[in-house]
Amino acid sequence: MELDEQRQDPLATVAVSGRVDGATAPVLEQRLKAVVERGDCNVLLDCAEMDYISSAGLRALLVGAKSCQQNGGRLVVCGLRPACKTVFEVSGFFSFIDCHDTRDDALLAAKARLAGE
Amino acid sequence: MLNLVEEIVLLMIDDEGSFIPVRDTAFDHSVAGAVLMDLAFANRIDTDSDRLTVIDSSPTGSAMLDSALSLIASSEETRSPSAWIAALATDEARPVRDMALDSLVERGILERSGAKFLWVFERLRHPIVDDREERAVKRRIAGVLLSDDIPDPRDAALICLADACGVLPAIFSVQEIEKARPRIEQLRKLDLIGREMSGAIEEIERSIIVAMSYMPH
Repeated sequence: MELDEQRQDPLATVAVSGRVDGATAPVLEQRLKAVVERGDCNVLLDCAEMDYISSAGLRALLVGAKSCQQNGGRLVVCGLRPACKTVFEVSGFFSFIDCHDTRDDALLAAKARLAGE
Repeated sequence: MLNLVEEIVLLMIDDEGSFIPVRDTAFDHSVAGAVLMDLAFANRIDTDSDRLTVIDSSPTGSAMLDSALSLIASSEETRSPSAWIAALATDEARPVRDMALDSLVERGILERSGAKFLWVFERLRHPIVDDREERAVKRRIAGVLLSDDIPDPRDAALICLADACGVLPAIFSVQEIEKARPRIEQLRKLDLIGREMSGAIEEIERSIIVAMSYMPH
């Protein structure tokens, strides 16, 4: 798994590639935690290059999403590949985490949401 | 802090120190599910719908988890989470339940007392002597069920276990459970082990109902 972090207003963007499983999920969880602790509580996880996500990966995301919410922000995801999207759907994750097709869609939605708040 | 096995066993104890009457299959599968959830939270196993894999076979230090971890780690075949739940429910659930009771007694939360019935047989009971942990667990469940916030993964797992083994009616009224049902369903899906465990219990209960419908009246 590789993580690439950028700032694209109004979101802190973390692009994840490869496999998010028991071996790599703690790294993702720590990175999301660091982003929120830095003060960026509106976070986009770009999953366009993510091949696989296990239960441990989903837990890391849920912890990250909860942390964003507790700090007044939101974690959103974009670019989910079909297999990963199915995992999110079956787990009911879309009840808690907004999903967009592309990074541009996610940024536009975040701008609109934050402008309305 | 109690692990999920201890928490669910504690919730199953009634005011008299006996287990709340639920189907054995539901109890055994819930204990098996709790063991796997605890191993997942301890970063020893990982799952997807097809496979349960050991990512770290080093002991957790908890005997009630390490027996299952050792069993899974030494298995030559890779099995699905549901297959492991079924295997542990059959072979491990009762010893694990007893270890959880021992642990709760050692922590001073329960006490062990024997009572004779039919003048000969001794029935062990485990009355709660320090109810702070029990109240804290129930408060956590109520807090998550009554809120729309993103849950902590561990709390979601606990609610899934409590629902699967049928202990929620001992905590909430029928009306409260009815009102919280959409939230319970939402939380039940979050944890893959919990989902597989609930599915297995529902499948067994359906089979029992079908079998009973064929019995001569």
